[in-house]
Amino acid sequence: MTRKRIEITTGFVQADYNFWVGKYMDKFYDGLESKQVLGNRCPTCNRVFVPPRKVCGNCFKTIDLSNNWVKLKDTGTLRNFTTTRIAVSEAGKKKTSEAIPIGMVQFDGSDTSVVYPLLDVQEKDLTIGLKVQVVWNDELKGHPRDIKGFRMLKGGER
Amino acid sequence: MSKQQAAIVSAGFCEHASKRSDVNMAEMANEAIQDCLNNANIEMDAVDAIVMGNMPAFEGANLPELWMTDWVGARDKPLIRVTTGGTTGGSVAIAGYYHVAAGLPGIETVLAVAFEQQSCGNTSVGLSSVALGEISIVNALGLPAESAMRIFGAGAAIGIASYQAINYMKRSGCTEEDLARVVVQNRRNAAKNWWTHLKMPDYTIEQVMATPYVSYPLRFGMVTPASDGACAVLFTREEIAKDTVDIPAYVNGVSSVANETGIVGYAAAGAGQLDPCEQLGAVESAKLAYSQAGISFPEKEIDYAEVYSPFPNQELMWLERLGLFKENTAHLRYRDGTTAPNGELPVNCSGGVNSTNAIGASGLERVAEAALQIMGKAENQVPKTVHTSIGHGWGGCINFVTLTVLSDQPRRK
Amino acid sequence: MNKVGIVGYYQVPPALDHNMGRYELIFQAVRGALDNVGLKHKDVTSVVSATNDYYDGRTISNCFTVEAGGGYMKDETKVEMDGAFAVHYGMLRALTGHHKLVLVWGGSMSSCYPYSSSTLLSTDPTFERPLELINDMTAGAFQMRAYMNHFNVSAEDIAQVAVKNRRNATSNELALPESQLPAATTEMILKADVLSSPVTELMYSHPCDGAACIILAPEQQALKIRDDPVWITGVGYSQEAYYLGDRDLTQSQSMKNAAQMAYKMAGVKDPKKETDVAEVFEHFAHEEMIFSEALGFCKPGEGASLSTEIGGELPINPSGGAMSGNTPCATGMIRLIEAAKQIHGDASEHQVKDVHRVVASGQIGLCAQNNILFVLERGGRK
Repeated sequence: MTRKRIEITTGFVQADYNFWVGKYMDKFYDGLESKQVLGNRCPTCNRVFVPPRKVCGNCFKTIDLSNNWVKLKDTGTLRNFTTTRIAVSEAGKKKTSEAIPIGMVQFDGSDTSVVYPLLDVQEKDLTIGLKVQVVWNDELKGHPRDIKGFRMLKGGER
Repeated sequence: MSKQQAAIVSAGFCEHASKRSDVNMAEMANEAIQDCLNNANIEMDAVDAIVMGNMPAFEGANLPELWMTDWVGARDKPLIRVTTGGTTGGSVAIAGYYHVAAGLPGIETVLAVAFEQQSCGNTSVGLSSVALGEISIVNALGLPAESAMRIFGAGAAIGIASYQAINYMKRSGCTEEDLARVVVQNRRNAAKNWWTHLKMPDYTIEQVMATPYVSYPLRFGMVTPASDGACAVLFTREEIAKDTVDIPAYVNGVSSVANETGIVGYAAAGAGQLDPCEQLGAVESAKLAYSQAGISFPEKEIDYAEVYSPFPNQELMWLERLGLFKENTAHLRYRDGTTAPNGELPVNCSGGVNSTNAIGASGLERVAEAALQIMGKAENQVPKTVHTSIGHGWGGCINFVTLTVLSDQPRRK
Repeated sequence: MNKVGIVGYYQVPPALDHNMGRYELIFQAVRGALDNVGLKHKDVTSVVSATNDYYDGRTISNCFTVEAGGGYMKDETKVEMDGAFAVHYGMLRALTGHHKLVLVWGGSMSSCYPYSSSTLLSTDPTFERPLELINDMTAGAFQMRAYMNHFNVSAEDIAQVAVKNRRNATSNELALPESQLPAATTEMILKADVLSSPVTELMYSHPCDGAACIILAPEQQALKIRDDPVWITGVGYSQEAYYLGDRDLTQSQSMKNAAQMAYKMAGVKDPKKETDVAEVFEHFAHEEMIFSEALGFCKPGEGASLSTEIGGELPINPSGGAMSGNTPCATGMIRLIEAAKQIHGDASEHQVKDVHRVVASGQIGLCAQNNILFVLERGGRK
């Protein structure tokens, strides 16, 4: 297992900020590198978290690192969405030429949602409850961006 | 809402190291909290409110208490975060005290958490904006913060400390060996605690003196490390405390009197404070906290001290300003063994900030260790019975001081 | 029973870009509050400030505000949250009897830093932050959509809150000039630039420069200073789960918890009947509706049916609320000041008649993750 740091660079002041992600997120990012979405299950309340967590906030119990892992499919449900043309980075905000929709997606088999771009779709075609599927980035680095976003599944797919 | 006597019933730590790369900030704080709750055999359900603190610019995460909610057990609980620089941990302890002492209905037991993961983010950038003035000015110079830091670095923590050291040596006749002696005592003490960073059980004065200067008179072997670590302390009301532990550490005095912004203020122009050893804030803080605790003769009544001293000369200075030793005599008390664990006034048996410095947590760790000595549960427990102890903190632009006075007896009404 | 009174306050008029330095701004707030009630700096025994290192652009920013904020040689500390939380800590300090006069101030200059970036910097750095998708605007948009979708509330209903607050702001002499829209209509609100759909610019409480100060004293001391202190009879606060995906964004669990705690302390049984005015920190128009439901003024999803204008059944934000000027670190404190003004009958143009009890709130975090609620009541010698 390799230890990874997520690097976030170029703020208003030139400084590199690094964060240790911990063993749970490390395993999660290892999974992404092989196109596998990993969650973990709280043995007390049975909730499944994506990304995985060391502590279940509801139970305040530590979820053991050695088991409780759940392999998830790359499909999920759209729980919420918004479209913005204001791109906010650590340095400031600027208008983008294109409005990109982003959504809260609940992976099938998990109990929480993650926020990612919604690809090749316009806001008018979005409704809460749509089925979606992961689109992987061409290059996988063990980074949150390994998931490029989600695409809408048409009625007949899967 | 009626006033309550507050007491500390438990303290917990995580393992401190220069890089806790195996955990993220939230997981690290959680380790200390679990340790604290386990030590008192208490579940998170029994905690009514949480007080948190760190120095957010060091990790580079704004309002970290928000995303750390689940890891610190704050879900659907009252939480506030205080932050005051180096004194953050001390301020967290004081806030923990006030939450219990105010006696709000429903807030009886309060968890105080302080942490710093200095290997995250960029601490020299964090500190440089204290030492160098507005970040925007550095930015206007067109310099990367790292280079600006090197050019103006004399104003950062070690810069302040060396001014203080030169000044103190001149006043008191304290030698470089005396400074080394303080360091050796701290590092040897640190070796007796499981959670500390620089454990050096066989460190000697000669070894310290053989290291090069970082900034005269401070040598490489005297300098505080940059640590990752967290500390948690449990405060509760008197009647609950008595049911929880044999000897609660009653909190009888708290203060944090601010002095003017120090000599390295805006554009390096201070507000006129010429002597960085004067530390009027510490003198006033001591007066206030001791009067709350009913202490008239600190040098006689206080049995144990945990003072916040990243650099050895500061330990000597604080002990004097806080009224534990006469002016310019502290170094002599290290020579005669007064401050050793088996001495008359043991100091920093935890190894102090000189051995372990997770900045935001350091102030709370002083209070935690001072409490554990009273409770008889310290790792490096002193042989004498500790009735009254103090936990001290230092920070800001050398202008912040926090002080907590603990006792095995509740405050005299 | 011991209680704490608000004996003085001062708000520096907000501006999008104040033509003065941060320390001048702070000094004006603190000096103003002391002068308003004829107190001297030497009377103050403790100071609690509310600033944020990211907003101020420097580490330990409070070590440079000691002199301007009145903290020199005082027992002082800082709460790095909304000013309302600092008022809470100040109140605790007064309740213990250690302090006879506690000065609480907060403020920031958002003209000097990118506010939305500072909210991105508060997201989970191990996962969300590198994606740069979650910030105050997108989170608020998710919250608005969740609320509308769940309760079948229309965007017009939500725009109506913005219309009311922006009209109210025109009668508040301390409102941000740019926030005032005397002729606001729902159409105008809905057609404004979209920040993040469905939230438009005019539904958003735009950050601005400003500072405010409140002076607190324990009961007996408060009565020595003035005949009519405003009493804090209840306070409650709570933090809910962080991840947007963990939360039910259609409601505010933290405000519900806060209200439960504060009402119990103040002995409020029927909040709608027993409250005369509410001043809440609404970061977005829809948040005011979600809060009015969490505060028990109406059933979940029925916030739109409540008549909340000045002269209505329960006026909410007669000052214009946070929409009339959102000064990070002071906004919640300004809600408390507005509440005190209503009780004192000092609210001039936006005064509500016969005010005895007001609730005022502050918040911090995405989608108001941590809320604090105060119950304030008319004081005086019994």
